[in-house]
Amino acid sequence: MGRPEGIFTHGLMTASEIAAHLLQACETLSDFDAYMFGSTLHGVGADIDILIVGPPGDGLSQLKDELRAAGQCLPLHLLFLQPSEAERTDFIGREKCVPLASLATQSAGSFTERPIT
Amino acid sequence: MTWQVGYALANFNKSGPSKAELVEGELIRVVTDGQPDVLAAISAAETLDQATAEYFLQTYPNLDFLCGFRATCVWEGAAITFLEASAVGWGSSGTLSSAALDGSAKTAPHKTYKFSDRLIRQYGRVARVDREFDRIHRVHLRSGTTLRIGMVTDYEPNADAVRALWDRFGPVDIVWNINPNGSLTPEAIEAGHGLGARVMKWDDLREYLRTA
Repeated sequence: MGRPEGIFTHGLMTASEIAAHLLQACETLSDFDAYMFGSTLHGVGADIDILIVGPPGDGLSQLKDELRAAGQCLPLHLLFLQPSEAERTDFIGREKCVPLASLATQSAGSFTERPIT
Repeated sequence: MTWQVGYALANFNKSGPSKAELVEGELIRVVTDGQPDVLAAISAAETLDQATAEYFLQTYPNLDFLCGFRATCVWEGAAITFLEASAVGWGSSGTLSSAALDGSAKTAPHKTYKFSDRLIRQYGRVARVDREFDRIHRVHLRSGTTLRIGMVTDYEPNADAVRALWDRFGPVDIVWNINPNGSLTPEAIEAGHGLGARVMKWDDLREYLRTA
């Protein structure tokens, strides 16, 4: 009903913090290849673009539920590709996607500046 | 401040020709040189239905624009009809940014679906269109045939985009890739085939409507 959902108290999360948050909150992510791409890597963007590569099926359904919950207070934009689609389109290379696992281990600010504190 | 308002303000104020400030609650003011200020409500709703739209208009009677901030936000047809009849623009954060720039906030529709919605309504074989959701149109042709058409926006729609549309909105006859660029992946066409839907772009859809 449009009522407040989540309070904005700690500023915007950095790309590293978002990656760490998703990896921690979404257990099923370990079964997929997960990346971030787009403007959030370089600062605040309208959306936080996340690419998930893996097969369709129950695991993917479970992951979608986990991501929905984890992204309750984040403007996540999720793209799901099957491995064959990712390979044929070269999406990962073309969009300079960065693995979430790599991002999560970067110190804050390595890929992005904290836009608001 | 809610998270979506925080993100919206940060996006407007990082750069660009428009600036924004919090007015109250989920209402922000977008200021652009040479254009009227825009009072916009920023909603985190996953689905914007008529009740939600009415709630925002009752809460903020001077509302110019209702923004569904989530990239995944879905707008129900009744909400769209209500907002357009109330002279309130509606759509994504990108729609709000564009509308603030060109001074069209009170009449702006979601920019993602604006062109395709107009395209299908203006096609000569189409007698009537019932908009069930922002991306789901029930199209009544002059031939008497009725088709339920769902729109996907991806540059290269994949199998998941087709399945997700079907899962969220139910069966459609046609999955229409409204992105004028890019191409359909074989997996997307195959996924549609498995569900019983044709997956196509405008040139093929126009031909299909001509003979359906």
